Amino acid sequence: MNNEIVDLHLNDPQVRKTWEDFLTSLGITDFQSQETDAIDFTLGIYEGDKLVATGSAAGNILKYIGVCNKGVDQGSRFNTIVSALISRLFQQQIFHLFVFTKLKYSDSFQHVGFHELAHSDVAALLETGDSSIDDYLKAIPRVDDQTNKRVAGIVMNANPFTRGHRYLVEQAAGENDVVYVFVVNTDASLFTTAERFELVKQGTADLKNVIVVNGGDYMVSYATFPAYFLPTPDQQVDYQTTLDARIFRDRIAPALNIKTRYLGTEPLSRTTGIYNQVLQRELPPQVAVKIVDRKTTDDGTIVTATAVRKAIADDQLDSLAALLPPSTTNFINQHLDSLQFRIKKGMNINGN
Amino acid sequence: MEIKQTALAGTLESSDIQIMLSKGTDGITIDLESDVEKQFGDQIRKVITDTLAEFNIDNVKVKAVDKGALDCVIKARTIAVAQRALQTQDQPAWEAF
Repeated sequence: MNNEIVDLHLNDPQVRKTWEDFLTSLGITDFQSQETDAIDFTLGIYEGDKLVATGSAAGNILKYIGVCNKGVDQGSRFNTIVSALISRLFQQQIFHLFVFTKLKYSDSFQHVGFHELAHSDVAALLETGDSSIDDYLKAIPRVDDQTNKRVAGIVMNANPFTRGHRYLVEQAAGENDVVYVFVVNTDASLFTTAERFELVKQGTADLKNVIVVNGGDYMVSYATFPAYFLPTPDQQVDYQTTLDARIFRDRIAPALNIKTRYLGTEPLSRTTGIYNQVLQRELPPQVAVKIVDRKTTDDGTIVTATAVRKAIADDQLDSLAALLPPSTTNFINQHLDSLQFRIKKGMNINGN
Repeated sequence: MEIKQTALAGTLESSDIQIMLSKGTDGITIDLESDVEKQFGDQIRKVITDTLAEFNIDNVKVKAVDKGALDCVIKARTIAVAQRALQTQDQPAWEAF
């Protein structure tokens, strides 16, 4: 099996050890289960009985790519392994791929057709495939004479849409000509992406200058910011959010003339807290950051979606009306069974 | 004519070219990555465009990553990807050869 592509089955302990040892020798050392569990398949190339190249895919993201160039043309094994990963994903009808890599490998990926979305001092995020950030931006609705308008942007998961979100949008809508509300696209929350999107739309329907759009793969997605959905060390959150912030600053904001990004203060979530700090560090001066204090109810409780999800789990629906706009309350009343069923099945409700 | 589905042909190995077709609305647009873009970029684009014309495809996005492919390879890969994209692999287009 010299220089042929083979499947590596990582649940075989011996294969797993060979694989980890090989990657460790190349400086890739993070084998936490939350990273490795997400892997859908792993390919490798052996020379004799020695592993000389490997690469994996998790969803539409390439991971753990490592290549030894000893004795062969520089880059040839890298091309072979990336090529095999792309073909395999295409067979699975996955046509839009991302890779999150060390900055020094960005060029190698650009050489095989990837386009860089953003990079920081340590890492880079690239994409390839049948759609790109340019296609995404082209499809977003615009208003007449947008370049001369005051435009703001908000990114929210809205799991679900609360009076707190509503308050944030209202502030922005009052101070700008147009407000884009980007709803996080990754479907890893109690409320599905379609439900969250619809509730944001309904909850802002009366605000005529608000445009609700799907955040796609480019804002707080599994590709740009996996730590939003998985418990992760602070340092890594910083790396990821830096790229997320730079994509917003360099690609999204200029295309839509967004001059201000609105954030809610985040007293309860550590990850979102770091994200907000990074946004304040990275976005200005190109994009101003405006922080709006958390909305509280009349009796002083802070409005959070976390509290709403807990109330659903505990069947304490009386408390919800104070936290939610009527559209969200109605939705929860109508779909209570299915929401509680998702929680019972193990949907995490304490994250974001 | 427009294609039916996204399709891929070829590899990233030396002397090959990887070509992907996906739906487009803007005529034939070619995104080409090649080390010899300067010398042969126009020729590579011409071979791809001419071959697509044989299939009457006039609205498509092409993404091509060239690793030094000869014209005959470029043509072969384009024919393969066009037939996959049109879902006509089982009816070889002899006139295109």
